[in-house]
Amino acid sequence: MTVRAPTLAAIAVVSALALAAGLWFGQVDKPADAPATPLLGITLPDPDGKDQAIAQWKGKVLIVNFWATWCAPCREEMPMFMRLQAEQGAKGVQFVGIAVDNADKVRDYAADLKLNYPTLIGGFGAMELSKTLGNAIMALPFTVIIDRAGKVAHTQLGPLKEEQLRSILGQLA
Amino acid sequence: MPCPTTCAGSRTRRGRREIAALAGAFLVATAAIAQTTGGPKLLPAEDAFRLSARALDASTIEVRYNVADGYYLYRDKLRFKVEPAPVAAGTAALPPGKPHRDEFFGEVAIYRGLVVAKLPVTGAKAGQAVSLVADSQGCADAGVCYPPQTQRVELRLPASGAGPSVAVEAMPAKKDYFK
Repeated sequence: MTVRAPTLAAIAVVSALALAAGLWFGQVDKPADAPATPLLGITLPDPDGKDQAIAQWKGKVLIVNFWATWCAPCREEMPMFMRLQAEQGAKGVQFVGIAVDNADKVRDYAADLKLNYPTLIGGFGAMELSKTLGNAIMALPFTVIIDRAGKVAHTQLGPLKEEQLRSILGQLA
Repeated sequence: MPCPTTCAGSRTRRGRREIAALAGAFLVATAAIAQTTGGPKLLPAEDAFRLSARALDASTIEVRYNVADGYYLYRDKLRFKVEPAPVAAGTAALPPGKPHRDEFFGEVAIYRGLVVAKLPVTGAKAGQAVSLVADSQGCADAGVCYPPQTQRVELRLPASGAGPSVAVEAMPAKKDYFK
């Protein structure tokens, strides 16, 4: 079958529209064969000021959660994250927080909560980074789930439901 | 056109091929969307919490927040400054707000809808240009919170004897994460 020029043009238009639709809805950061997310290339201090490279968790199913102590919906989902960390950590599931907050508040809150996964301290740069990952309005919580190959599998603005997170982890872990 | 309008049969076949090709192209394009996203559609902070202000006279600025439906501001996170020195802001007369239970902040007051506050200004001359610098923080009922933001409104205080200035909208917000 020969494909006529108008057909090719139509295919090009529809492909472009589909891609644009994906971009519009924030679903396409990059093609499926893109390299690992830039998140894996960053280093941030922990609450004690020690630098931690996100790449140290590469190869795990990584749930990176942007949060803050001043964000009530962020705090509400953290006990669920702790439960899943305890339950699925042995399967290679790793939660990591990036707090858009000051280190003292984060350290105190993590201690109160007995947080069982690491949280790093991010500032404006981390918020900007979350924007490039799909957090267009730069609000919290914002969560990025990265598969074992280092690619973004899911991004979520606002709280994750436990059932939803379990289903995603079930596919990746 | 290679096919004039009279060759209806050929056009139909070609139409089918085109539809198949289009469907295929759409599948290929959408298959590239490997990751999923979740969450509500939300406004950026400067649209959720729209700030404007006007000078009522040389010693009073009226500050207005227009809070979009489904969003709220924390009363005790509002901070106002007026520049340049020696011009300064007094204590704003804030409406009481609605009580809101927050697990971390405890019992707090929040604002929804229109918030109007009067801010006393000292040290200013009639007719002088001043900047209102306003810090605020709020959340959406959909389950997200915005980092503290700082907005600026450039105003000219009325000349003596003149009426209030026209309302001025805030400049694009500057984010401030370490307040």
